[in-house]
Amino acid sequence: MASLNETGTTVRAPRAPWLTLKRRETIEGWLFVSPTLIGFLIFFLGPLIAVVFYSLSEWNLLSQDTTFVGLANYEDALTQNPDFWQVIRNSVIFAAGLVPMNMALALALAMALARPFRGVVFFRTIFFAPVVTSAVAWAIVWKFLLQGDAGAVNQMLATVGIDGPNWLREPNWAMAAVIVTRVLKMVGLNMILYIAALQSIPRDYEEAARLEGASEWQIFRMVIWPLLAPTTLIIMVITTIGSFKVFDHIYLMTGGGPENGTLVLAFYIYQQAFEFFEIGYASALAMIMFVIVLALTVVQLILRQKGST
Amino acid sequence: MTRLTVRNLTKSFGKIEVIRGIDLDVADGEFVVFVGPSGCGKSTLLRMISGLETISGGELWIGDRKVNEVQAAKRGLAMVFQSYALYPHLTVRQNMGFGLKVRKESPDEIERRVNEAARTLQLDKLLDRYPRELSGGQRQRVAIGRAIVGDPQVFLFDEPLSNLDAELRVHMRAEIAALHRRLGNTTIYVTHDQIEAMTLADRIVVLRDGRIEQVGSPKELYARPDNVFVAQFIGSPKMNVCPVEAIRSPLQRAGFSTGGATQAGLRPEHLRIVDEAEGILCGRVSISEYTGGGALLHVELEGAPVFLVENSGDDAPQPGDIVHLAFSGSDLHLFDAEGRACHREPELA
Amino acid sequence: MALSQPQLATVKRTCWMLSLVVVAIPFLFPFLWMISSGFKGPTEIFGEPTLIPRTWRWQNFVEVFDYQPFARQYFNSIYIACAVTVLTLLLSSLAGYALARMRFAGAALLMVFLMSALMVPEEVTIVPNFFLMKWLGVMDTHVPLILLPVFGPHGVMATFLMRQYFVALPKELEDAGKMDGLSRVGIWWKIALPMSRPALAAVAIITFLFSWNLFLEPLVFLSSLENFTLPLALSNFTDPYGAPLWHLQLAATSLAVVPILIVYLIAQRQIIESFAMSGVKG
Ligand SMILES: Nc1ncnc2c1ncn2[C@@H]1O[C@H](COP(=O)(O)OP(=O)(O)OP(=O)(O)O)[C@@H](O)[C@H]1O
Ligand SMILES: [Mg+2]
Repeated sequence: MASLNETGTTVRAPRAPWLTLKRRETIEGWLFVSPTLIGFLIFFLGPLIAVVFYSLSEWNLLSQDTTFVGLANYEDALTQNPDFWQVIRNSVIFAAGLVPMNMALALALAMALARPFRGVVFFRTIFFAPVVTSAVAWAIVWKFLLQGDAGAVNQMLATVGIDGPNWLREPNWAMAAVIVTRVLKMVGLNMILYIAALQSIPRDYEEAARLEGASEWQIFRMVIWPLLAPTTLIIMVITTIGSFKVFDHIYLMTGGGPENGTLVLAFYIYQQAFEFFEIGYASALAMIMFVIVLALTVVQLILRQKGST
Repeated sequence: MTRLTVRNLTKSFGKIEVIRGIDLDVADGEFVVFVGPSGCGKSTLLRMISGLETISGGELWIGDRKVNEVQAAKRGLAMVFQSYALYPHLTVRQNMGFGLKVRKESPDEIERRVNEAARTLQLDKLLDRYPRELSGGQRQRVAIGRAIVGDPQVFLFDEPLSNLDAELRVHMRAEIAALHRRLGNTTIYVTHDQIEAMTLADRIVVLRDGRIEQVGSPKELYARPDNVFVAQFIGSPKMNVCPVEAIRSPLQRAGFSTGGATQAGLRPEHLRIVDEAEGILCGRVSISEYTGGGALLHVELEGAPVFLVENSGDDAPQPGDIVHLAFSGSDLHLFDAEGRACHREPELA
Repeated sequence: MALSQPQLATVKRTCWMLSLVVVAIPFLFPFLWMISSGFKGPTEIFGEPTLIPRTWRWQNFVEVFDYQPFARQYFNSIYIACAVTVLTLLLSSLAGYALARMRFAGAALLMVFLMSALMVPEEVTIVPNFFLMKWLGVMDTHVPLILLPVFGPHGVMATFLMRQYFVALPKELEDAGKMDGLSRVGIWWKIALPMSRPALAAVAIITFLFSWNLFLEPLVFLSSLENFTLPLALSNFTDPYGAPLWHLQLAATSLAVVPILIVYLIAQRQIIESFAMSGVKG
């Protein structure tokens, strides 16, 4: 295209440079994300793809050879190995115990602590403290407290005449103990999420309901609980996924025992890979875990869609 | 030379075309104002000129340089934003000197130019404050100061006064006009305040839906709008427009020829309330709004449309009164079926 | 006996506080017990439980350092957490800024791609990463402990947190920066970052704690005592038969936990808010 210059003669417009503003933006954009992206590809996506291939091979680190075995590892897990189903059972029990307990306690604490009163900060600080504490420290201390007869918990129970069990050595009690102590560790996080949600509910709703003569319980049931639904959903999924990832807590408290009674999926993967060196089998387990977490996420997305329409 | 030349400029966001072929020449030192309804693309066009928004098609020249692909900072422009956009973590002095510092001017030179701009805008005493310690008007002045220290070829303003209260707006408007007289820079100014447009502009560009409806001096746009949209957009209260059919017989009786026009327009301020004998149009007052200096009457004409009439003086008719309206032929605007102005024959003018 | 209105309120309040205190016991008690037992001797620790040690055995805190290179391990944890934090801040704010503000081809796809990372637990990729690190020759070094958190799901979460914050910043400020001649990097560094202190602080806090508390990765990648990080070291106070040396373990745990708790007590509002911010997004 030609344009007029000030003397009225025409000048040819120079050809558009290669480095247009748009191209520049694209290049700059990719440069900005490239450190994250490259690292992500190498240390996350690559390994994720590798797991798929590992899971299709028989690969024991001790024997040093690899053979392609198709779905044999999955078959092994799902039909051959009795441990697998026990692990799944344990994981489900762990989640089924932890999630409702965590959420109910979190909501109760949040309801108690959402409004300011003297000492509210003190209590919030205490309930949240385990969240910032390392899981290792928390597990160590609780393991110490829950020892058989010498443990502080049982000694205290003894003073009121209760003969406490050897918490971490009896399968059912061990599961209960790891669940409860894990809830204590993590409930503060859900508590503050609930507090934030409660504080964002305008007081008008509650006051309107109160003017209409609703009881406290009715206000909770009919006003607060429905308004918390989106938060509840998110918390539920985060907590459920989190419960499937728990490793350090159980590794340190029970070591998966007694009698594999607390052996959960994350731990089982670790054990197969780094104690028994069954890389192929461990990778198949990892894929199964991936699918479980993916399914939970998809369920969340669907529920959230439904909730918003 | 800082002429600005825009040729067939277009911009699309994804599939949506928001600027659809703009042609415009801005002369050196000219003050051009973009007006138009919200969402018509004023800001987008200004940001394309500034370089903050990429250009999808067409050409943009500043002086003798095609700048389509030149980065914002290298186009020799300065921009004043609606929200002032002062850096909250810098003092007024640092805010004003920031661009010079980025361009690696010497500290002495920066100091000198900041002081000069501060003097021009009476900011001397505020130089060491932070933006949060300033009033709205002061912030606006700092924003303008930041623009002038760089000695740009062209000033761009995007609704710079819309965050100010009414009184301050009038004051700052006058300051901007004075500044432009003093510095004489080419200026492009976006607003949707008509009065701002009319008082500041050498020329006004009326935009609608990404296209230019009309370009002209404020007088031209007011007196000879090219189409119904411009006619109604410029002027306040807006022009009364009705089908010619509705008032054809009174017009003919008064001796106005309507040619092939299908719509007629009359500005409220051009309608006079007169005696029955002189009256061209006749109607009943439905609402009378007291405006201080006079009243704004809503008059239901016989042929149905409601006309607004500006009535100065205290003796405003009351609702229910019958009034007779007159106007001079040169104030009658006629438009064809597409809304384009029918320019009447010279003998009628 | 009938209570007057204010008396009733007082009774209610007291019951209310008492029940909160009772619920708080299992949260607070482990910390107190941990510290007190850290001062007890190996025999008293199994005796009758008392909150105040009968004899204060300060020696525990000396023996902790003799048993294994605890000071070194402590330092490892600190410097690794700092490195992870600085790198995460840098990379997540860069990428987050680009995703928030720059309109570049492929950005939308990239978002979805990165987001997928948020749902994959570390346990899934740890096996291939083990071989990757082995191949890179960085086993039993701190390299994996720095790289994996930065580039894993946690780094992605930090990126999204930063993005979310940048999106809400006033855009005209950055436009002004552009007009003033700043480059993209300049706008990011001189305008976007200074205005994002709360988000940066949140990312820094959760990242530091994330690295500080990491256990699986050190367990998998480290083998020599002097390379251990704190969580691994804490789990390592055992007698030759593998039974825990409780008095040392609890003393060491106290040493690891108490400084964090003190910081937490000082900055609890900020820290809790940071977790709330990341929780809602993550
Ligand atoms: N980044 C963007 N992406 C998509 N569409 C956009 C973008 N920016 C602006 N638009 C659209 O372009 C059109 C023009 O917007 P613009 O801001 O230029 O209007 P305006 O005339 O300045 O309006 P106002 O008077 O309200 O400021 C609008 O319809 C707007 O929705
Ligand atoms: Mg605009």
